[in-house]
Amino acid sequence: MPKFTLDGKEISFESGETVMQAAWREGVEIPHYCWHPGLSIAANCRMCLVHVESGRQMEMPQLVFDEAQGEYVPATKPKLQPACQLAATDEMVVSSTNDEVKKAQAAVQEFLLLNHPVDCPICDQAGECKLQDYYYEHQGTAKRKLTEPVHKPKGVRFGPTIIYDAERCIMCTRCIRVCDEVAKDHVLDMRERGNRNEIILAPGRELDHKYTLMTEHVCPVGALTSQDFRFKARVWFLKSAPSVCTGCATGCNTHADYDPRNGKIYRLRPRDNEEVNKFWMCDEGMMTYMRHDIDRLLMPTEGRGGERMPLGEGEALDLAAQKLKAVDGDKLAFVLSAQHSTEDNLALVKLASALGSGELYLAALGGWEGDDILRSDDNNPNRAGATQAAGGARLKSVAELIDEVQAGTVQGVLALGWASAEQLEELAPLLALDGVISLTSHLGALPAVASVAIPVADTFEIDGSFVNAKGMSQSFGPVLPKPAGVDPAWKTIGELARKLGKDLGFEDLPGLRQGLVDAAEAAQ
Amino acid sequence: MEPADELTNEEIALELSEEPMRLNMGPSHPAMHGTIRMVLDLDGENLVNLDVQPGYLHRGFEKSCERGTWAQVFPYADRLNYVSPMLNNVGWALAVEKLLQIEVPERCQYYRVILGELSRVADHFTCNGASAMELGAFTPFLWLLKVRDWVWDILERETGARMTHSFGRIGGMAAPPTANFKDDVLQLIPEVHKVVKETEIMLLRNRIFLDRMQGVGVLTKEQALSYGVTGPVARSTGIPYDVRKDHPYLVYDRFDFDVPVGEDGDNWDRFMVRLEEIRQSVRIIEQAIAQMPDEGPVDVDDPRIVYPDKDSVYKTIEGTIAHFKLVMEGLRTPKGEVYSFTEGGNGELGFHIVSDGSGTPYRVRVRPPCWYNLAAAREMLLGGMIADIIPTFGSVNMIGGECDR
Repeated sequence: MPKFTLDGKEISFESGETVMQAAWREGVEIPHYCWHPGLSIAANCRMCLVHVESGRQMEMPQLVFDEAQGEYVPATKPKLQPACQLAATDEMVVSSTNDEVKKAQAAVQEFLLLNHPVDCPICDQAGECKLQDYYYEHQGTAKRKLTEPVHKPKGVRFGPTIIYDAERCIMCTRCIRVCDEVAKDHVLDMRERGNRNEIILAPGRELDHKYTLMTEHVCPVGALTSQDFRFKARVWFLKSAPSVCTGCATGCNTHADYDPRNGKIYRLRPRDNEEVNKFWMCDEGMMTYMRHDIDRLLMPTEGRGGERMPLGEGEALDLAAQKLKAVDGDKLAFVLSAQHSTEDNLALVKLASALGSGELYLAALGGWEGDDILRSDDNNPNRAGATQAAGGARLKSVAELIDEVQAGTVQGVLALGWASAEQLEELAPLLALDGVISLTSHLGALPAVASVAIPVADTFEIDGSFVNAKGMSQSFGPVLPKPAGVDPAWKTIGELARKLGKDLGFEDLPGLRQGLVDAAEAAQ
Repeated sequence: MEPADELTNEEIALELSEEPMRLNMGPSHPAMHGTIRMVLDLDGENLVNLDVQPGYLHRGFEKSCERGTWAQVFPYADRLNYVSPMLNNVGWALAVEKLLQIEVPERCQYYRVILGELSRVADHFTCNGASAMELGAFTPFLWLLKVRDWVWDILERETGARMTHSFGRIGGMAAPPTANFKDDVLQLIPEVHKVVKETEIMLLRNRIFLDRMQGVGVLTKEQALSYGVTGPVARSTGIPYDVRKDHPYLVYDRFDFDVPVGEDGDNWDRFMVRLEEIRQSVRIIEQAIAQMPDEGPVDVDDPRIVYPDKDSVYKTIEGTIAHFKLVMEGLRTPKGEVYSFTEGGNGELGFHIVSDGSGTPYRVRVRPPCWYNLAAAREMLLGGMIADIIPTFGSVNMIGGECDR
């Protein structure tokens, strides 16, 4: 493999790669604003200028006396080149830290701050802003320009999700390229030049495609801010935990940013994964965090409609077991959930087979539009996982369940999750049954028709895994602690089984996962 | 009942226990300065054995440093030797500056020397005054402490606080000297000399004072060396070790001053060494005042180290960012570790700091001078009488904040 040297470190590259790209892959950062690994090369910010020391130097018209040669030779000057656009060649020697480069970096940085407003205290980007980082690392001088800065529009509404501040903008064009290349929608462009430069919307358009939040995500400064996150939190108070998006069957990898002081998630950010989502996520996926603390079921309940009453923790499982015992095993229906982890579903499958019922159903969400970028046609993160947990058998739909309830072949239901495409009216036949148990993290149509609803933990609170549309199993860990008295569904199912006098053969998650391996082998 | 003098010696001996009496002194005892516990084995009034147990004022200073920025250590450093906080402030600043490989401007160096020596004067007056008070002489205590108040008046005018100044900054000081600084200090100097003289008149010919101080609490030169004792306690035994002289920092190599040493290492020598050091500190101050430039920068010229002035923070983006970075993330130091030491009020005050290249210290270790001095206190006290603990312990000048950290 060919190699080049960057600041004394050898970096191997594949032919066609740029210096920046090869360095980035090796985990070496050359300061940059406009370059993004997932976007085309613009080379307009000039922050990544490097010096190719092994290359021919720029010759000047002046002559200088060279002592070694004893004659006059043309003076040379180092020619700095943008690393993002500079194709790497074998044996190349590149410096991103020599004096010439440092001078260039400081100068570029000073130019970028020339007309920058004093906005850090009110800017959402403060704390994760490249301008701040690079000022400290590469500039470190006081202001020299003492005239009034150029003023441009502030707080421009680009669309329902994004606000633009032209004064903060450094014109890196990342947002334009993200719209062009990721969303395939040329809705942003640039007008004027010099210090009148500005990002604008296409005439008659709003920034309203399905990937608008990616413009904010790639913005290296605070020029684009998200309507949702704006003024909600200061990023240095947030902590981050890896998670997986529950929005659709793509299973985009995320960083969930939460405030440990109040246990609230404030935003999701895409987590780079070349195999799944590359660097991106769709708007709806980015907003799935909001589900976490809206309409949570935090306390077990009994009864339906206006007669719904809270239950004690131990009571709920006892009552559920009692109601399930009243129904014959072969008349019990078990509803898996495409929104729950594979482990949760597997525990339910195990319970079903322990009770001698072969009838497995799957509740899933519908009403969603996929695309050929990231969004899968299925807006359930784990349909494949639930199917896998059931040993690959065909899972009946909730519509079939309703038919069977009406036919009287099903007399008791144990349902996992809140999500179902069917609304309350369609689920109404279930109200006739006494033994409808719902294990759910949130309120919804399924819990609403249940005679006993038992709270379980949400995706952001558990260890688990989803199998995405490509068949890749992706595990995730807890971001936030579980609410008091609430367990993961697999654990609650295990306890319910004990109340029913059955042992499902697992004590903990590794034990349960072994069952998953067995199920997968059985399916083959 | 028979008169006692008619009993034979054997009969008296029978009535007394042959076992030494075990007595707890402190930690809540006025003479233990509130923080030291001593477990004494007494044969009558004589000390047979004792165990000095520090640690009652442990706050986790070193650990606390790890969760703040480099600059946020200053308030903690104030609370090490809280009798002379300015010396700790300067010591910490010098340690971080050594890591950063920077040197503050000359004007600042003189400023630090003068403020530091003023603190040393206050420190020694406090210790000597307390020594006298612990022997029952309350008037000298108040008489000496008024000088501390005068010193604190100056420090208050300069720093805004009488005691915990938090005035040091990495790469400079929080503020430049005030316009009247030199005049204020020059006015104080004759007063200090006067009170030193008065101290000598009050105490040095007092029979009680002499008897309680001379030959009491003796520490030999060898013991001092083996315990790592520094400062006035070491110098009283005849070891002429003074960081300012042996490893000059700031501009101490430009001053003409003597290092007073004692001979016997007893309470008296420790008292006299401190008294003489006050005179030497004043000498240094006089020379520093004469040499200190009236104009010029106090802080190093690097916005990545020194906080920008408020005007530029509010009006320029560069100032805002510099301020934000320094406050939120702390100034960035190079990876590495240094040991930096200065002459504190009680001896060699060392900071061993390790940096992982981030804005917060990775590890901070303090060499608190009185920790070592206190360790040697057992040697001074053994074989003495219980009443001697008080003046001897006083003259060791254990400061809980520094000793227990």
